[in-house]
Amino acid sequence: MKIHYITGVCALFVVAIHIIMRLIMPFSASLTYNNVIGNYHNIFYALLLEIILVLIAIHGFNGLRIILLELRQNRTWEKCVSYGTIIASIAIIAFGTRTIMIASTLKL
Amino acid sequence: MAYYSIHSVCASGKEILMKNAKKDLKFSTHILGTENREGLKAWLNPFGYGWERVSYWLQRITGVFLLIYFVGHVIETSSITGGPDVWNSMLEFTQEPIGHLFLILVIGTSTFHSANGIRLIFTHLGKGLGEPGRPDYPYSPSSLNYRQKSGIWVALILAAFAMLFGVQVLFGKG
Repeated sequence: MKIHYITGVCALFVVAIHIIMRLIMPFSASLTYNNVIGNYHNIFYALLLEIILVLIAIHGFNGLRIILLELRQNRTWEKCVSYGTIIASIAIIAFGTRTIMIASTLKL
Repeated sequence: MAYYSIHSVCASGKEILMKNAKKDLKFSTHILGTENREGLKAWLNPFGYGWERVSYWLQRITGVFLLIYFVGHVIETSSITGGPDVWNSMLEFTQEPIGHLFLILVIGTSTFHSANGIRLIFTHLGKGLGEPGRPDYPYSPSSLNYRQKSGIWVALILAAFAMLFGVQVLFGKG
């Protein structure tokens, strides 16, 4: 459970910063295309997004894995669930990283 | 799901059945790891075991919901790569009342999941809130004490306040 607790507590802090970024100006103004692209151009914010992506992907899919492993126990099931969730989290991290990398190079 | 075949017949004509080991092995719940389990049906029932069970159920449900939201959020925000038009058409969903309600639900569930999750970490560590333990006589396990119960209530109240704040931001004058 260590990995679950560490990723959970860390995610809480970085997600708080992520949400505060939306609330330091009027909510609808913060979501305009130019502002969001501007956020992505800030290397620290892009890095923050990447950290959130990794932490939440691990936390979320590990949580799903725990739920599924509680439902039944046998070797095949446990292997399928573990590998399935690892592949799913790698896929979502790859997809999110692609978005961050493309968005940070887009021109305003 | 055990399979039986006739092993022998008694003088009275009564058949003695014997477990068919080979077929039994294949379909046995023991091998599948599901014996004495009610599965998803029981998992989805939050009642009958007090507030601890309700909080366990809520933690699971909100966790699954937030995972779905997270995947949706990553896919949704990937529309930024398509340019301003794609981004704005995606944003239209969040401007509708139903989109606002969905976001408020996300705020509430994430706040509850965080606060209750912190309580669970403290419970697991056995620090501050009391350790989980065997319910010996006089049957007052420390995992069911008032501090644990207050933790659940604090998580629920924080979630309610966060949702009210969300209502103010999303439905207010902005």
